[in-house]
Amino acid sequence: MRLELEEVAHAYSRGTPFEVAALRGVSLVVEAGEVLGVCGGTGSGKSTLAQHMNRLLSPTSGRVLVDGVDAASLEKTRLRQKVGLVFQFPEQALFAPTVEEDVAFAPRRLGLVEEETREMVREALTAVGVSQLAGRSPHTLSGGEKRRVAVAGVLAMDPEVLVLDEPAAGLDPATRESLLALIRNLRETRKSVVLISHDLDEVAEVADRVCILERGAVKATGTPAEVFYGHPEYAPAMVKVASSLRESYQDVGRPVRYADTVRALRELLER
Amino acid sequence: MGASRSLGQFYPVDSPLHALDPRAKILAVALLVLGLFFVKEIEGLILMAVVLLAGVAVSRVPIGVFFKLPGPVLFIVVFTALFQALFSHQGEVLFGWGPLEVYGGGLRVGVFLALRIVLLVWAAGLLTATTGPVALADGLEDLLSPLKKIRFPAHEAAMMMTIALRFIPTLQEEASRITRAQAARGAGFDEGGPIRRARSLLPILLPLVIGAFRRADELADAMESRGYRGGVGRTRYRELRFGLKDALALAVTVIVVAILISL
Repeated sequence: MRLELEEVAHAYSRGTPFEVAALRGVSLVVEAGEVLGVCGGTGSGKSTLAQHMNRLLSPTSGRVLVDGVDAASLEKTRLRQKVGLVFQFPEQALFAPTVEEDVAFAPRRLGLVEEETREMVREALTAVGVSQLAGRSPHTLSGGEKRRVAVAGVLAMDPEVLVLDEPAAGLDPATRESLLALIRNLRETRKSVVLISHDLDEVAEVADRVCILERGAVKATGTPAEVFYGHPEYAPAMVKVASSLRESYQDVGRPVRYADTVRALRELLER
Repeated sequence: MGASRSLGQFYPVDSPLHALDPRAKILAVALLVLGLFFVKEIEGLILMAVVLLAGVAVSRVPIGVFFKLPGPVLFIVVFTALFQALFSHQGEVLFGWGPLEVYGGGLRVGVFLALRIVLLVWAAGLLTATTGPVALADGLEDLLSPLKKIRFPAHEAAMMMTIALRFIPTLQEEASRITRAQAARGAGFDEGGPIRRARSLLPILLPLVIGAFRRADELADAMESRGYRGGVGRTRYRELRFGLKDALALAVTVIVVAILISL
């Protein structure tokens, strides 16, 4: 599925003295099967952008297109099934007595029969690696487990695009790794992922393309190498290392991921 | 996140009313409210409305804010007016449809009661729009402190009120975030009959209550770790000063209310 934003602008509290322009004409495309990283500082409009992708917010001007069709003309529940949105700190919205029931909330709302629902729940819990927790109460879990259960709650709708808003904020390294692995697996099954994060290192590891937002507008978009090497103020740790080496060794290349940087360094040392 | 504003919230502008001592404002509003209950005629209430509107003008708070204030109690206002107009058989019949007859006296009483509720809300709104929550609590604590002699926990009551006021916007924000998170999972909140609708609120209310308890715990820990041990011996960053202008404002209110009652 292809998701396209055309000159999307959004202002909160329109027509009052408290009006804030959160997005000022953002255009970007999420291709089928790609991982798009969206970076930007606090207040750059990342979360507002995320909520436009499944029409929790409607643009004050501009359009959101799903496979070329205006999202405003699609049925809301259908759209929200296709574009799964995981909010920041999604574990705050866990409510059911058991993990299984909480994850089953969305598929049930979509009107799936009991058997299909159970199948979806099992698959979603397995995808985030917490199938053993199905019968537990979500409120007795650890922070990382809760986060994974909450992500499963959206995965259970089998969305074609998964939008993750700061999925790894405040997580332990192991849970963070498992979320990044989930993103890679989704890409392999031709699902798209929008990873919104201000953790540049995390985006560098999984993104196929990167988009940088600044004060509600797209500052840069392109491959991770183009964007991160072109805007030193947004360079992840590996890019910083490679950039400073490039001053004396031009042939280091432009590695972005950890593994690529290590390989480039090794080649340099073995010469 | 969206800059959402709730009704009855502090409206931070510079005005003579904002500059008054909160104690003067609390007492003045208490007097006005008391006055509202002693005014017997509709003309008195209209004069009271004029007085409150003058207050709004002085406060430099946009008047639109006040027109929206009675929103949540609009149902009570309309119901009261209709009930009186239809079922209070005083005076002469104005008009009627079949068994329903509207009496002149009943209509008058209905409008009177409705207007009184609206004015009560306006008076309270004038206080909260021009007084920040901390100033309000400080003022209230001072006014209640004589009751400490009979062991009334004035400081604790004021602190509880400050915290409650402080967390209204926070909880609103959290409720809106949880609502959107559940909507992203296909939740609908405006379909089906009343029972289905109430049930559909569970996925919002449960996380909200759990979150509120967590916040309360965190706040208590944060306060204790900064040395809070209740009101005994606690000093204030901003001392309240009751000056000439506060005395004048209060005196004017007393005179206005006295005139209104004696009419």
